[in-house]
Amino acid sequence: MTQAKAIIADDEQQLRIHLKSQLSDIWPELMICGEAENGKEALELIAEYGPDVAFLDIKMPGLSGMEVARRIAKTCRVVFITAYDKYAVEAFDHEAIDYLLKPVTRERLNKAVKRLQKEIAASSKPPSDLSEIVERALAGLYKKGTSGYLRWIRAQHGDGVRLIPVDDVYYFQASDKYTLVLTKQEELLIKKAIKELDDELDPGQFWRIHRGTIVNAHCIAKVSHSLTGRGVVRLKDRPELLTVSRRYIHVFKQM
Amino acid sequence: MKDGLVTINRRLVFKALSYTVLFDTFIALVLTGIKFGGGFVDNFIVSQCIGISICSLFLAGHYLVRPTSRLFHMILVMIAIILGTVVGGALGSIAAGLSISLFEQSFIPVMILGIAFGLMVSYFFSSRERISRSEALIQEERIKRLANEKEMAETSLKLLQAQIEPHFLFNTLSNILSLLDADLERGKSMLTDFIHYLRTALPMTRGEATTVGQEMERIQAYLSIFKVRMGDRLRYRIDIPEGMKDLPFPPMLVQPLVENAIRHGLEPKIGGGELVIRGHDRQDFIHLEVSDTGLGLNEHGSSGIGLSNVRERLQSLYGNKGRLILEENRPSGLKATIEVPHDTG
Repeated sequence: MTQAKAIIADDEQQLRIHLKSQLSDIWPELMICGEAENGKEALELIAEYGPDVAFLDIKMPGLSGMEVARRIAKTCRVVFITAYDKYAVEAFDHEAIDYLLKPVTRERLNKAVKRLQKEIAASSKPPSDLSEIVERALAGLYKKGTSGYLRWIRAQHGDGVRLIPVDDVYYFQASDKYTLVLTKQEELLIKKAIKELDDELDPGQFWRIHRGTIVNAHCIAKVSHSLTGRGVVRLKDRPELLTVSRRYIHVFKQM
Repeated sequence: MKDGLVTINRRLVFKALSYTVLFDTFIALVLTGIKFGGGFVDNFIVSQCIGISICSLFLAGHYLVRPTSRLFHMILVMIAIILGTVVGGALGSIAAGLSISLFEQSFIPVMILGIAFGLMVSYFFSSRERISRSEALIQEERIKRLANEKEMAETSLKLLQAQIEPHFLFNTLSNILSLLDADLERGKSMLTDFIHYLRTALPMTRGEATTVGQEMERIQAYLSIFKVRMGDRLRYRIDIPEGMKDLPFPPMLVQPLVENAIRHGLEPKIGGGELVIRGHDRQDFIHLEVSDTGLGLNEHGSSGIGLSNVRERLQSLYGNKGRLILEENRPSGLKATIEVPHDTG
């Protein structure tokens, strides 16, 4: 059997040093052929050395450990290292894949090493298909993250660019080529057209009530209907009244 | 109250009419008592006719026009009095079998009666309006107070939960553990920083009144932990004027901004970057600014639990006088500024 090779990827140098020294105690024959401090470097090292094992920290700059694993599927064995990733740990728990929780204890590392040695001795082939498990873990990780809707408004302000969370916006009002963004205390102009905003904002929270108006439903105090079929929206903490045109009045019909 | 001053509904109409009938009966009794007109029956019929006419006209007017201003309301009362007196007086005279000429002769006293009815009706309505207004006000106050209490409870709950992030906890402990083998002195100093951070960050071990300086000490401890962890990838500077350090300042307001800058700005960036904390003591306001050269905000990314917590706390501590301003930093990253009034806090 040729000497086993491994790479270590973790963005924290101290933890790489520590893992390396622990491994050299437990598994002196293992050759660490490279250390990476982000996902991209890890991919390069794996391509260069073709290691038997990759120790991958999950949370790394650039590509995460799991994204690295997805790209190198079936080319080498992966041991994930994570401080705390509930979804990932749940996904790995019942599978053949190994993972280590930080801080990595000597006993746990010992167990992982025994398993790796056995696998490498038994076959030269990496474990069946880990991509499915990784996909599942990734799906879990991203589930809690982004929704795809616009969450921030960028607005030129003085000589800087202000960032306003959409939750703080009371309503958007079209004005010529620009759009006026009104929060509780401020009014800012942005270049984005009302049509674009209508497409990008969460339709559950932001309602188009007029050709030129989108209102944040959380900021509506009261809506009254007029005899002519239009509606009037009164806002919380802001004095102005907004008109709901006949075309959009259906938004309020269920109330 | 919907659109007008008073909402006309069946119950109100019934109530108004019964009061009118009672009042009319009382007037008829008084008139008979002072020997006016031709006896109780006549007086009763005439005063009922006038009273009910005025009241009905007034109700109908309110129902059709829905006056929204007080002036409009008064005009309506006047019209109802004049029309109601003439129509009701004529009807009453006919019903009581009196000649119309008799009604014409006593027009002025009848008109005075009409005005008395009118005032009664108008008083009834205005007191009704006052009652419903103050009821609405009380209701509104109650809702406001409940919403406020709920918000306060939620904010403090979030504050309790959001203190120690598990990633931070376990990664820091891993580093300390690894340093115990490799570099005992650095391990000790990291542990000291960690203890200092925990002491002030955990709500149960935190004192009540705090200052800008104390908040900066905690941030210093937090950042030196990250300095060990991130090495060259993190550079930081805390630049607070000496005179600002003793100013009272609520705890854990700047801290989440620093955490945000590290967690979403610098840690995920290949190569890391710089974090700068600055303080400005203005005439009326204190500015505390956290800027980083990290990844910055993604327009479609999450809006950050930490940041919205800061916003909510500023709102509950300072109302509209405290603000969190977010800006793009140049050439990259994010600049978050807390602005709070000078005197309070």
